[in-house]
Amino acid sequence: MDLSSLSSDFISVLLFVFRIAVPILCTVVACRCFTSMRLGKRREEPVVVLEDMATHKVIPVLYWENSLGRSRSCDVVLQDPTASRAHAVLMRRESGWLITDTNSKAGTFVNGKKVKEKAPVLPGDVIAMGSTALMLKRTSEVAALPPQPPTRRAAPPSGLMATVMLTQILLGLQLCLASGKISAAPLVPLGILMLVEWALYLYSIKILHHVSFELETIAFLLCGIGLAMQAGTNLKNTYTQLAAIVIGVLFFRFMIWFLGDMDRVMRWRVKIGILAVLLFAANLLLARERNGARNWIVLGPVTVQPSEFIKIAFIIVGTSTLDRLQTYKNLTGFIGFSAICMGALFFMRDFGSACIFFVTFLIIAFMRSGSVRTISLACAVAGFGAFLILKIKPYVAQRFDVWRHVWEHPGDAGYQQVRVLSYAASGGLFGVGLGKGCLKSVFASTSDLAFGMLCEEMGLVLAVTVILILAFLALYARSDATRSRSTLYSISACAAGGLLLFQACLNVFGATDVLPMTGVTLPFVSLGGSSMVAVWGLLAFIKASDERTYAARRRRR
Amino acid sequence: MRTTGTRSLILFILVLGFFTGLGVFLYGLVTEGGSWAVQPFNGHLYGSGTSAAEGRVLDRNDTVLAQTKDGKRVYNSDPATRRAMLHAVGDTRGYLSAGVQYNYRSELTGYNFITGLFSPTGKTNGSDIRLTLDSSLCRLAREKLNGRHGAAAVYNYKTGELLCMVSTPDFDPQNPPKDLDTDKTGKYSGAYLNKILSSSFTPGSIFKVVTSAAAIENIPDLDSRTWNCNGSVTVDGNKITDMYAYGRLSFKNALAKSSNVAFAQIAIEVGADKMQAEANQMGFNRTFLLNGIPSGKSVYSVKSAKPNELGWSGVGQYTDLANPYHMLVLMGAVANGGTPVTPYMIKSVTPSIGVPSEQGSAKTGSQLVRPDTASRLKDYMRYNVSHEYGDSLFPGLAVCAKTGTAEVGGGKNPTCWMVGFSSNDSTPLAFVTLVEDSSTGSVASAGRIASALMTAAAKIS
Repeated sequence: MDLSSLSSDFISVLLFVFRIAVPILCTVVACRCFTSMRLGKRREEPVVVLEDMATHKVIPVLYWENSLGRSRSCDVVLQDPTASRAHAVLMRRESGWLITDTNSKAGTFVNGKKVKEKAPVLPGDVIAMGSTALMLKRTSEVAALPPQPPTRRAAPPSGLMATVMLTQILLGLQLCLASGKISAAPLVPLGILMLVEWALYLYSIKILHHVSFELETIAFLLCGIGLAMQAGTNLKNTYTQLAAIVIGVLFFRFMIWFLGDMDRVMRWRVKIGILAVLLFAANLLLARERNGARNWIVLGPVTVQPSEFIKIAFIIVGTSTLDRLQTYKNLTGFIGFSAICMGALFFMRDFGSACIFFVTFLIIAFMRSGSVRTISLACAVAGFGAFLILKIKPYVAQRFDVWRHVWEHPGDAGYQQVRVLSYAASGGLFGVGLGKGCLKSVFASTSDLAFGMLCEEMGLVLAVTVILILAFLALYARSDATRSRSTLYSISACAAGGLLLFQACLNVFGATDVLPMTGVTLPFVSLGGSSMVAVWGLLAFIKASDERTYAARRRRR
Repeated sequence: MRTTGTRSLILFILVLGFFTGLGVFLYGLVTEGGSWAVQPFNGHLYGSGTSAAEGRVLDRNDTVLAQTKDGKRVYNSDPATRRAMLHAVGDTRGYLSAGVQYNYRSELTGYNFITGLFSPTGKTNGSDIRLTLDSSLCRLAREKLNGRHGAAAVYNYKTGELLCMVSTPDFDPQNPPKDLDTDKTGKYSGAYLNKILSSSFTPGSIFKVVTSAAAIENIPDLDSRTWNCNGSVTVDGNKITDMYAYGRLSFKNALAKSSNVAFAQIAIEVGADKMQAEANQMGFNRTFLLNGIPSGKSVYSVKSAKPNELGWSGVGQYTDLANPYHMLVLMGAVANGGTPVTPYMIKSVTPSIGVPSEQGSAKTGSQLVRPDTASRLKDYMRYNVSHEYGDSLFPGLAVCAKTGTAEVGGGKNPTCWMVGFSSNDSTPLAFVTLVEDSSTGSVASAGRIASALMTAAAKIS
């Protein structure tokens, strides 16, 4: 063995060690982020208490929005036959505590004054509903309650960010050594990404004094992996991707600001809905068919996929605060809006997005109504609609013919899937190395087949880690549901988390022939301008549901 | 908000679905990863500029049958050797599903679940596969088939080593003919099939070995009986015929002359149930394995046969089918006292680093023939050669054999068979040869091939 082959063996083994290190580091970052989010979460302890004026029983108020009424499902159950089932909602807002009467029969009174719509409640005020009278008190005023332990501090986010940077450096080094010769070009986009992440970090922590940065850390981790994958395939695309990440981050910050004021969100809801419908109309009119779907609009030098942004509009339109949920129970408006969205997507032949919208609709509809009947009905209608479409437009069915039979069609309809499977297996647990894959020459490899690319070049372990992170993101959004400042955030965060996970499922399982191939992107990883911006927007919903996101700003006042 | 929190549990359904899907994918990857990876379109294995190198396939004398050079699969330099070994070795596209290259693709590419196709040093670590086959013996078999469609196989019934396995028509795996898939003249018909392993043919008179076994076990005074063979016998108005009128024949001579008249009557006398039981016992209607590669089935089914059909079934016609590999194993069983040594063709699998992982060795299969029946069959079959076919075909080998000339209809000439074995301890070799659409008799066609193969194989130590 001569010296040069010895050194090339050494480099190969070194790169292999890097490929083992990257998923380990990713797992460490993800685990620490998720434990940190769990630790940073407020315990389920009373925010304030209500004292029953007759029995002097102390009722803890656990949430930012609390339903009061006779129904057992209320947060504060009134043992009072004269109270309505859902009588009123007690809410904590920036300005203080508010009470809203939710169309009760007997009415709600604060200090004897009847509440029309909303009324502020101060500690010491008495709320009367039916024959019940409750006094709002600070927790400190009630001796019976044990003193609150100090809130646990979350892990310092700078260490996690440094680890993320380390994984990106390892990925960068792999790219530099990939071709056998040392090349520094792939370091530039990764370097820019590191600058972007630290800029956002410093802005959030040092200027806005936010205490949490875990979600952003995770998003940057995934973006780094995606960007490295692009760099190994086509360096030019990395700059498009990088631009999308920067716009995404700005959009993320904008969304955090926009979601900060619930009243603003509720005011804009209808306008955003109308805008979304117009956008779909524009799409249908202007778009030209590309790869079997008409979901692109060309605006000068850039192409935009409106359906990606409508995902965000869809969630905003779907969500609602608890008082409104209690007042306007019916879902007709939202169902109508959803039907228009999905109909438009079918006309565009974007079936993947239509499925994503449908699942998001189910999550929102169930969280709003809790009605299994509505959900079953929606599923039945969707099933019937799908059946009709398959009957009327047989070419749609052809797309699904090959499902679970891809090995019989390696040259035509199963072309992409068999290559994903073959190259994913070729990579083993730790991949063949960035830039050394063969899947990259297949159409849509870095977007629709991103999971296969991850498996082949970086290994199964990293690829599974990436999708597990997305699953945990959805689980985190769920676990935070009762700690949000409003059901508006709970619903939107669950919808966004569910949407991201479902989209990941369609991408991963479509490419690997577990589900029919639909061609959607893998959140944060796949190449795609609009989709990258949109997933950052969706992340903002999850971020906004964490009450710590807006805590710092209040403290500053 | 508590209600909202409870309702958010709907996300668990999604998460559950996610983990189910992931499970399906991972299960597939663990169980099928090897065959997923080793696909003819995989750029890591094939195509220009690939650094991968599949392991070599070698014959018993270390002749290289297939290897990878510069990302291309290269076969033996001699076209006749390439074509003779095609069905054992397989092709590059993986169309020959009974070939070693298809069935041992994980071993050849060095695929494993942990590191995939490449080792940490970025190289492939494919194993070399050494076969028990002798490429010159296979080449001889192909030469003797001389362009006719057919098959031939030889194995050592003591050690289990398969020495020869050839099937024709074949094609050159190095330069597959352009008209291979489009040809309509039939010159490549069945070229993708290894006829030894995967095909079954009408057995004709070689089935009389089975009928004989049934007669030995069910007719006590067999050797003192005679049959009047006047050229034909009529059963239920249906005539079962012979080539010649042999006159009155003892059992031994009826087998040697291969009288249909005698054997049809024997089958009817033994009866459908006992014929069926004997055939099943001897391995009909079941699959045999060659290094894990399943064979086609031999078929014998007289459940609903009329008496004349039962008669025809006893002489290897009716719906009877015989798989050559099964016939080879059956001959090994008769030679070996009723229980065969299972044939194998993989001598060793040697990784680029490390010790050989699979060493072929003699493994005993399940009993196919009762020991005393085997011994009597051996004597009758020895008599066939010494008194009928002629020992000059197999000088000094003391071969026991049976020929068959199976009518196939459809305007085609019969399929000619010869199955048998050498009863010498020093040359424990069993063989099966067959020629389809043969214009000459079975001794002149299949017999001549067997003669050449056995003579050459006896010289292999």
